[in-house]
Amino acid sequence: MRNAVLIVSLAACVIGVPIVAAQNAPTASKQSVDQLFRAAEKARDENHDDEAIQLYRSVVARQPESEQGLWFLGTLLYEKQQYPEARDVLRQFMTLRPDAGPGWAMLGLCEYETRDYRRALDHLQHAMAAGMGDRKELAQMVFKDVAVLLTRFERYDDSLDMLLKMLDTSTEQPDLIEPAGLAGLRLPLLPAEVSPDRRDLVSQAGRAVLALQTRHNEEAESEFHQLVTAYPNEPGVHFLYGAYLMESRPNDAVPELKRELEISPTHVLARVRLAEALIAQGDFDQALALAQQAIQYEPKRASAHMMAGEALLAKGQAVEGIKELETAREADPAVSRTHWDLLRAYGAAGRKEDADREKREIEKLSQSK
Amino acid sequence: MPSLLPTFLLAFTLTAPVFSLASPAPLAASRFEKLAAQADAARAEDRVADAIRLYREGTQLRPAWSDGWWYLGSLLYDQDRFSEADTAFRHLLSSPAHRSPAYAFLGLCEYETGNYGDALTQFRAWANAGWTGTADLRDVAVFHFALLLTREGRFVESLYLLASAAPRLGDLPELSEAMGLASLRMRYLPADFPPEQREAIWLAGEAALYAAQTHQEFDRADEFAARLESRYGAQPGVHSFRATLYGFELKRTEAEREFRAELEISPNDVSSMVALALIDLEKSELVEAEGLAKRALDADAKDAEAHHILGRVLLAKGDLNASLSELETAKQLAPGNPAVRSHLAMVLSKLGRTQDAKAESANFVVLKNKQDVMASPEEKLGEKTREKAR
Repeated sequence: MRNAVLIVSLAACVIGVPIVAAQNAPTASKQSVDQLFRAAEKARDENHDDEAIQLYRSVVARQPESEQGLWFLGTLLYEKQQYPEARDVLRQFMTLRPDAGPGWAMLGLCEYETRDYRRALDHLQHAMAAGMGDRKELAQMVFKDVAVLLTRFERYDDSLDMLLKMLDTSTEQPDLIEPAGLAGLRLPLLPAEVSPDRRDLVSQAGRAVLALQTRHNEEAESEFHQLVTAYPNEPGVHFLYGAYLMESRPNDAVPELKRELEISPTHVLARVRLAEALIAQGDFDQALALAQQAIQYEPKRASAHMMAGEALLAKGQAVEGIKELETAREADPAVSRTHWDLLRAYGAAGRKEDADREKREIEKLSQSK
Repeated sequence: MPSLLPTFLLAFTLTAPVFSLASPAPLAASRFEKLAAQADAARAEDRVADAIRLYREGTQLRPAWSDGWWYLGSLLYDQDRFSEADTAFRHLLSSPAHRSPAYAFLGLCEYETGNYGDALTQFRAWANAGWTGTADLRDVAVFHFALLLTREGRFVESLYLLASAAPRLGDLPELSEAMGLASLRMRYLPADFPPEQREAIWLAGEAALYAAQTHQEFDRADEFAARLESRYGAQPGVHSFRATLYGFELKRTEAEREFRAELEISPNDVSSMVALALIDLEKSELVEAEGLAKRALDADAKDAEAHHILGRVLLAKGDLNASLSELETAKQLAPGNPAVRSHLAMVLSKLGRTQDAKAESANFVVLKNKQDVMASPEEKLGEKTREKAR
């Protein structure tokens, strides 16, 4: 159970007071439901949770569309770790209140506990989109769960973005070490799914990633060095180190990325990053070959097309290069580097209108950031 | 990337609601028609709670209103309110127009409410009714059907269903996980396997998924399989899975080595013994093949494939009566397996029982054409690989 006390404190925030149990019920029935509701509220106030749950169940049985009844019942059941029932009650609540961010959060947390991870991710992201007001603790739980679920669904970069956002505000950084390590190593596991003999590897990678993200460069260098020394043959390790080096010492990244390809011969991103490093070194033929191999593995990978485009342009094959860059733009229009590449390529080809359009796209992207 | 979350099914193709119900009283009809119109309007305007309430009232007023039950079930299903959706969909089993997709929805609802035995029954009914429904419904239902087959220990059938969906669904994490469970022969659902097994399941799943794509990516499959073997090589099921992959790639020597490695870890693993017997049979090493097949039957006397392979070995040795006996047993244990019928036809023909041979040949054709869940994925994928090699 995670932060149960926090949950109950949310109750009034979501549905508001005063409580009105049954707006359209006949008088006798309404009276009965109101009485039950007051009794439930009293039991809840006095921390007689089991009694409160029974009473709220009675309320909901008589008045299935009672928002308050469903919400209090769902949150109390969550607190009692009765996750499947809490989930079912909260699903009924969400039909009535699809605007309630904390409701989506609670539902997602229940689904996380019942290992329904796809729905959990979907609903926790709904919570983020709808907002959770000033409930920081709940928001942090939601953010962290979303980050670890993104990794489990192999959206590692999105997960790292989330973790980076959390680093700005979180005071619980140790909790983020394993999630960061898993995302960095591109292992689609939840922290609870890491086997004991892998914990050191994941933690070491996590410390390196977090040090890098918080711009503790010396510490990051040291952590990465320890990582590659301790786990020289582990898939993902050299890619992670190489990706780090690309930002600081691109030439040193090349052997790391090559080593990753020896360990993981079909690693698509290692190919893409190596192509990028080789373009910087002026080895366009080798870069193009790597980018094309990456495209073969993943035809929709925008960055692979971008590298192929850059290599082709550098080799003087403007028509083919532009075609690759246009494919990259189509696959992921939010990458400004592609638009910059196209701006220059169109300009060199005398295609002023196209170049102007790319310029506008770059401005739009920079404004949106 | 598509999701296997079955929340997109509300737009299921339906005819417009019809109100051709028998002799309603005029006042009730008027009230019903008003309610139905209000319900449809609420649904069209995405006022889900109102639509659910109105369809409930409409179906209470007129329990034979199939379209009302359909929309009510669909709306509740879309809200993940599976128990209530299940109740609504059950009213559709008497409606010829809705019955078949209702089976699929009922299977999904029963799955989500944890009634796995009932879910399997509904999915089988759906399969028997012709797997009808939109492409989205079929994908979701087939996926959950396969999960339940894995839970039942029917790994080959499960993998066949999953592999058939793989080219359409692509590299989907849920599909990979499902294939991993079946590939490692773990009788679990995604929500209940031991968490520390997740990495092994993922590695196996990725390998299986890449091997099952339309343009089979065996180099990527091999990389994940090698990682699996390197990390979890001492775990039962890992070497036999690797061997099966090698089999798809027509790498017989490697496959044989891996099956033997599996037997070192799991000495009574029937499927590895059967597979090795088949490899020996293909090499005409009949003594070894017979020994392995008999060993497999010692481990599990009710294994259809063990009887089948023993029957084939005896056929190759010319012991026709003994072969017939084994193949008849295999047929009884796996009546839907076309390959057994084919070999039975051969033996019967050699025994001069021409009519019986013809009958089994005809059965073979029917079963082969049926392409039902009993078809072996090894057979299907092996066929693809051979086509590619040619």
